[in-house]
Order: sequence, then structure tokens, then C-alpha cells
Amino acid sequence: MKHATAGPRPWTFYVFASFFALFVLFLYGPMTVIYILSFQGPTGGLTFPMTGFSLRWFHALVTAERVGDIGGAFNRSIVLAVIVALLTVVLSVAAGLGFRRRFPGSGVVFYLAIASLIMPGLFVGLGIAVGFQLLGLDIDWYTSALGAQLTWTLPYGLLIMFAVLGRFNRAYEEAATDLGATSWQRLREVVLPILLPGIIGVALFGFTLSYDEFPRTVLTAGTRNTLPLEIWAMTTNVTSPALFAVGTVTTIVSFIAIGIALISIAVIQRRRTRGSGEPI
Amino acid sequence: MPSGTRNGEIRIVDVTKRFGDLTAVRDLSLTIPDRSYCCLLGPSGCGKTTILRMIAGHETPTTGEIRIGGEAVVGLTPVQRGTAMMFQSYALFPHRSVLDNVAFSLKLRGASKAERHRQARELLAKVRMERFADRLPAQLSGGQQQRVALARALITNPRVLLLDEPLSALDEYLRLRMRGELRRVQKDLGITFIHVTHTQLEAIAVADLVVVMAQGRIEQAASAREIFTTPRSAYVARFMGGQNVLSGTVESVIDGHAIVADEHGASFSTVVDGPNPLKGSRLVGSIRRDRVSVSKAQGCATASGKVNALVGEVHAIEYQGSYVKVTIQRPTGEEFVANVIDDDFFRDPLDIGDSVLARWSARDVLILEGAPDAGAASMDEAGGMLV
Repeated sequence: MKHATAGPRPWTFYVFASFFALFVLFLYGPMTVIYILSFQGPTGGLTFPMTGFSLRWFHALVTAERVGDIGGAFNRSIVLAVIVALLTVVLSVAAGLGFRRRFPGSGVVFYLAIASLIMPGLFVGLGIAVGFQLLGLDIDWYTSALGAQLTWTLPYGLLIMFAVLGRFNRAYEEAATDLGATSWQRLREVVLPILLPGIIGVALFGFTLSYDEFPRTVLTAGTRNTLPLEIWAMTTNVTSPALFAVGTVTTIVSFIAIGIALISIAVIQRRRTRGSGEPI
Repeated sequence: MPSGTRNGEIRIVDVTKRFGDLTAVRDLSLTIPDRSYCCLLGPSGCGKTTILRMIAGHETPTTGEIRIGGEAVVGLTPVQRGTAMMFQSYALFPHRSVLDNVAFSLKLRGASKAERHRQARELLAKVRMERFADRLPAQLSGGQQQRVALARALITNPRVLLLDEPLSALDEYLRLRMRGELRRVQKDLGITFIHVTHTQLEAIAVADLVVVMAQGRIEQAASAREIFTTPRSAYVARFMGGQNVLSGTVESVIDGHAIVADEHGASFSTVVDGPNPLKGSRLVGSIRRDRVSVSKAQGCATASGKVNALVGEVHAIEYQGSYVKVTIQRPTGEEFVANVIDDDFFRDPLDIGDSVLARWSARDVLILEGAPDAGAASMDEAGGMLV
């Protein structure tokens, strides 16, 4: 593609550039302030000025002084996000492969699955909580909250799989069958490895959607909070920069998850184009 | 494992394949001899790929039977059939090296790594790709990918190799080289090759048996030379190119010669063999393009009264090296093509717009079966016909 010959930029350029600048400011400005304030000096408060620079508030998180069970909430959220990511991968890959065959009623099934994206999350959570109570089941983060989060992550996973499979050439499967693969060998040796970058994408989505899910979780987690619920509670009763320290730590965890996913996808793509020749 | 018999004869018996409301293949029967090179030729949508896929086992006939080497194979896996397929996109696994792609079927059968790599290297050597064993498919050119795909299909030791438009992704130069190579491999291995193509030249260049298809049916199945020189129907004559198709009504039958006149003043005669056609009945004939001579019309010459001649205006002149393709437009708008040997043409060259008289002899007229316009509609999509 060649750029158009240089000339004055249209006025729309300035409109969109200004809008983008605002967008960046809104997104990263407050976050940056929080990251900076999380290193507030030991005597400092929730706002500027910084009275010094310390790791005092991060320390407060691990020692659980005054700030509640942040470590426990963090652990629960990570475990829950991993479980959600795994289930989302398994179920949406299977469903995505299944939907390639237009079975009777597949349209209805698809819309039923996707509809949960537009349902208000709070009410989904409320319904699940009430349902558990009616059935006499205990609500807990690894039962009712897990189910509630899956109503959110599975439709996303399915949509991603549709996009991934849309670019998947069925001739790969036929070639595998032609060469003598059973349906299980075909899946393991050909389909899953080829789809792997997309599957990692699904896992990443499942993980991050779960990790900061709030509306569906708030009424279904029971007595032990996940991290977003814990943070929400803290905003009402914690008045120290420890709150900001939580923000910094959780952001780092998110970036690590995204980083792992992107790096593994990049490694796979690289092996496929400039590869070492070793099978993956 | 491929079945015991190595006989690669294929018998398709009354096969119909429907996809919902669409009938892709209609009551089709065909026998492809063992160790032959067969081309299924036709425009897109004629059912040729569906037949290939049914032989391969990737589609199941709605009704009818397919036998390979005498065994009924419907319901069997490709491996049980002893077939292997080379896909149009090659379908090389992007995550496996060239070596592991070729060794894949041996891996599935539990061969040790050393053994399967040894055999795979052997086959790669056969297609002269051993230097690329450690590459990934994405690092190869189209022609190289095709060789790897060929090696991967052949490692299963098939009795029938099925090729779905194998040359369509290559450039012209490679296409010509690879088609020769495919033919050589087929001769070397002594197995049956079935090659699907929509390119007439490709089919007649390599095949022992050319099967011309239209709308799910076989129009003609014969040797390349027979298809080209004695097409059975107007459809085949038009599709293969190389022929002009004329139709008209029988005016008279004298001395075993029928005179047929069309509505626009041209007439042709042909040797009648068998019962005499009825006067007034319609006949369709074809005349080979390279048996037509063209001369400048003197004054306001017409062809009336002359048999085996017609007049027109030169519409296009295309130099083809050993001959010149002269396209004549008749007053009716129909085209008539003469392939004139280059020496003859340049002795008295024609120009676009010249009025010309085209002539041929009765023995070069071939009577065709069926309606004159059969298949004319599918000509447009058939695209590049023979010159």
C-alpha cells in the first residue's frame, strides 16, 4: 500500500486525533495516578502530595493488617480464573467444532448461548443465587460463582472459536483421514495443533473475563470474596494507599497473563514460518 | 493397510450424489482401467470433484456403487480402499516439518521414528525434496509444496492416487513441468491416477482416458485423441475447442452424401454412414479448425450455391507460433474459427475487417449427437477453451 501523496490533513484527522488523545488520557491517566500513589510514603494518604516513596502499602497487603483477606481473595480469583479458562477452552472448542455441522436447531442453540451476553449480569447472578437457594445448595465461589462466570465466558469463547474456525481449512482434516488417522488422532495430531494460537486466545479471554468479573459474581460468591469483590469492599472501608497497591498488583497479574498468551502465540507462529523443524 | 489386491481398476456403477436439492452427480457409470491416467474434465460445478471425493471416501454416494479392484468400497476408509488424495490446497500440516508431514501416516500406524523418517526421506528423494526435509510448509514455494504433498500421498503406497486440480495453484511454467512429472510418476509407479481439472490442454496432455463432464453427467469418455478429433456431441466439440459447430436441415441425400444447409446461407455436406437421414431433419456437424482454409472474398462473393463454405468478416487474428488463429464473424454474428498454418497465412496475410471465404472438405465434417446448443450455456463459465 502506498500512502497518498503528502497534502494537508483533512479536518477529520484532527477530530479523531483529539478524541484518541482524550481516550488515552481517560484510560491511562487515572491508572497511572493509582500506580504512582501505591508507592506513597508511610505517612501519606490517598491523594497527592507524595510524602515519600515506600513499599509500605504492598507490605500491608501480605500482612493483612486492616485490609481484610486480600491474599485469600487473590488466590481464589487466580484459581477460579484458571478453572474458568480451562472449562471455557474445552467447552467452546468442542462447541465450535460441533457447530460447523449445521444440525437441526443449531441456529436456536446458538442464539440461546449468545443471548447471555446481552442479559444484565447482576440479574443473571441474582437468578443463580436464588436458584441455588431454592435447591438448597450452598453458594460458593467455586460452585455458583463458577457457573455464573461461565455464562459470561462461554459465549465469548464460542464467538472466538467461530472466528478461528472460519479460517480453518477442512482439507487438513480430510488429509489426516486420508492418511489413516482415526477421529481422535485427527483431533490430537492435526486439528488442535493448528488451532492452538486461537485456543490460547480463548483461554486468555476466559482468564481475564473471570479475573475481573463483578456483576455476575457479586451475588453468587457467597461469604468468601473474589478479588474484585474484595477490592469493592475495600473502597468503602479502607482509607489507605493499600487500596492503590492492590490496583498495581492486579494490573501486573493481568499483564503477565496477557504477556504469557501473546508470547506463546508468537512462538507458535514463528515456529510455523521460520521454524526449527521440530514438531510442536 | 491397503487391501490385499493391488488392482487399481475403478468401477463406478449408477452413482447419484445429491446435496440437499442439488444433484451433483446423476446416474453416472464409468470404468477406469487399472494403471491408467484418467482426467475428469469439465467446467466448475459439473460434478468432477464430487466423483473424485466419492472415490476417495470423503463423500458417500446417495445411490449406486463404487468398486476398486473388484471390491465394493462404499463405507470403507481411504486407507482400506487403498486410495490417497492430493488436495487442491495441498493441505500440508503447517505445524509439522516436511519430513514429519510425509512421515505422518507411518506415525499413525505406529512406525518407529527412525523407520518412518527413513521411508519419508526415501520418498522425498524421489520427488527431489530431500534438501527441504527440515523446513516447514510455509517456507516452501507452491511447486515445492506440491512435491511434498505428492510424497505424503504416495507414502501410503496407494493403488489409486486422486488429484484434485493439482496444478491450479501453480504458475504457467511450473504447471507445464509438473504435469509432465505427474505423468512420469504415474508410469514409474504403475498405479491408477485420477486427475480433476477444468483445463482442456492439461487433460489431453497427460491422460490415457479423458472424461468430459457436464452437469453431473458424462458427455464423453475416450482417449485424448478421440475426444479431440471425434467429439461425440456439440457440447464436447465446443468445450474442447478445436472444432467449429454448424447445424442445419438436411436438403438432399445423394450418393451417400447428405447436404445440410443452415438458415444463413452456409451449407455443408457429409458422408452418410448408416441409414440415410430424412430430408428436413436437423443435423449438427463439426469441422476441425485446422482443416479450414481461408481466402479473401473477391468482390461481393457469397457462399450461396457453394457447399462446405461460408463467408464472413475477419474479426480477430491471433498469432500462435506454428499457426494463426483467424476468427471469422458471420453476418449472423456467429463466430467461425480457422487455424491457418503460419506459412500459408503469411503468403497472403489477412487483415481484421477483410471479407473472407472459408472452405473445408466433406470428409472433415463430423456429425454430432444431440441438440446444437447443448451445453452452450455452460461455455461461458468454462473459460479458456483450446485455441
